[in-house]
Amino acid sequence: MLIDIQSLRLQIDGTPVLRDVNLSVDKGEIYGLLGPNGAGKSTTIAVALGLRQSDAGSVRVLGVDPRVDSEAVHAQTGVLPEQGGFYDWMTARDYLDFFARLYGKEYDAAALSVRLEQVGLDPALTRAIGAYSRGMKQRLGLARALLPEPRLLILDEPTNGLDPRGRREIHDLLIDLSANRNVGILLCTHLLDDVDRLCHRIGILVEGQTVAQGAIAELLRAGNQPSRFRLRLTGPPSAEVPGVVRVVAQEGEWWVVDIEPGVLPDAAWRQLLFSGWPVTEIHRAGGGLEDLYLTLSERRAA
Amino acid sequence: MNSMILLARKEGGELLMSGRGLGWLLALSAILSVFGLLLVSNTELSLLDNAQVVYDMAGLVTALGALLAVVMGADAVAGERERGTLVPLMLTPMPRNRILLGKVGGQLIAWSVMYLLALPYLWAVGSTGQNLADAMLVVALLGTPVVLAFGFLAMGLGARFAGVRGTLLTSLIVLLLSASPLLLGPSLRQSVIGKVFDAVNPFSGAMNAYDAVIIDSQALSAQALHIGAILAWLGLMLWFASSSFRRAAQ
Repeated sequence: MLIDIQSLRLQIDGTPVLRDVNLSVDKGEIYGLLGPNGAGKSTTIAVALGLRQSDAGSVRVLGVDPRVDSEAVHAQTGVLPEQGGFYDWMTARDYLDFFARLYGKEYDAAALSVRLEQVGLDPALTRAIGAYSRGMKQRLGLARALLPEPRLLILDEPTNGLDPRGRREIHDLLIDLSANRNVGILLCTHLLDDVDRLCHRIGILVEGQTVAQGAIAELLRAGNQPSRFRLRLTGPPSAEVPGVVRVVAQEGEWWVVDIEPGVLPDAAWRQLLFSGWPVTEIHRAGGGLEDLYLTLSERRAA
Repeated sequence: MNSMILLARKEGGELLMSGRGLGWLLALSAILSVFGLLLVSNTELSLLDNAQVVYDMAGLVTALGALLAVVMGADAVAGERERGTLVPLMLTPMPRNRILLGKVGGQLIAWSVMYLLALPYLWAVGSTGQNLADAMLVVALLGTPVVLAFGFLAMGLGARFAGVRGTLLTSLIVLLLSASPLLLGPSLRQSVIGKVFDAVNPFSGAMNAYDAVIIDSQALSAQALHIGAILAWLGLMLWFASSSFRRAAQ
């Protein structure tokens, strides 16, 4: 287990910020940490990195207690914090070289170019970081996080400010890191599409408390959340498929259906196609992760 | 390269290579030129003796160095925290004490540049006297710990305070308080409170040692009391900065 946090509690200036946080990230896993603003996500990350001391609970990161040996954690962890933190007067190459040396790594010019290209930055760029767009800074921050060749990546909103192509490239990079290099990734984001696409498991934090944790499909099943989709059909459905989808409405050639709780979308589409439904397009129309997230966060707030 | 030296080079380079640093050096040259001209003209008119002029210039250089350290120290912790650049540094495997020492190393580089810049001015006002070499030595030996102590103070305050403004303001107040015995008249300085205040603050320690070495031609080794006060202050500020920075939360 790369991160194992149990029953974490923390008060800041007498106010409970973390009440009962539980979180675990395994090797090769992408874990999405979700929660409304002020839920305690950044504070949880700060505790995991040894930047803050907790009042109670157990925290193990890469097998060590970050309160005792935060340097050992930092040496093997790449972090993209919420606020990037760049020296605007440096070039990207100088910036990476500076941080690589702080991590005790020596990269020659060619290796630095590879690292810039890995995140989609042009290694020939010579202008100072201050002139970079937000998306370019985000890419540079990710390159910095990858410098120590980490076993664990902690990323706070990594696709913020990126265009769709950039977002897709970063997704592919993260999938490659987790699948092929066994890197565990803790992803903190409000973009549920990113979570849906990338994460193997999620944890939902509300008012400093973990209110749900597990694989998305399991949580949807446990939460009895129907997933609503809009399907474009070239003709009427040939037969009903009970126990898989329930037709809610028809709007022209669009059919609104709820997938029954416990049925995975992939399995549902297979069943429909086998049953002769002439489906040409599928769009999510509610339900699923977004509704689960809203339900859990509202229930807690109420 | 040692990560501490690397950080010191970055900190020093950030000041000296930037437009802001260039402006600081130009302002420093202007202040030293005007002050030097004033002192030389007074010497020509026999209003001040040569040793007094060198002493005044040495005091000015030390005061400007302490001011530089306060500004750099406030920026090094509170400023970097405001700009979000402190967290990535704290997330490297460098222990916090080494980060702190790296940052003070940057102040040392800036102070060294400033000292080198001040040498021609010291020479210009004191080349006809006898204690110029002693003055250069005593400023290097005693001015440096004073400057570093104020740098540590500003970094410690920066780690405890939320922003640069509060850090800078508090550090400047302490700097002014430290220099205040020099503004007291001779009778007030001879009072018990004046003497105690004079004895325990580093700026007075340095100025009294300058006085003894440059004007009274005493040996530096005879300034143990002043040197002790300066080093005690340096140690105290190092401890303050270190404990504050270790506890500094995100």
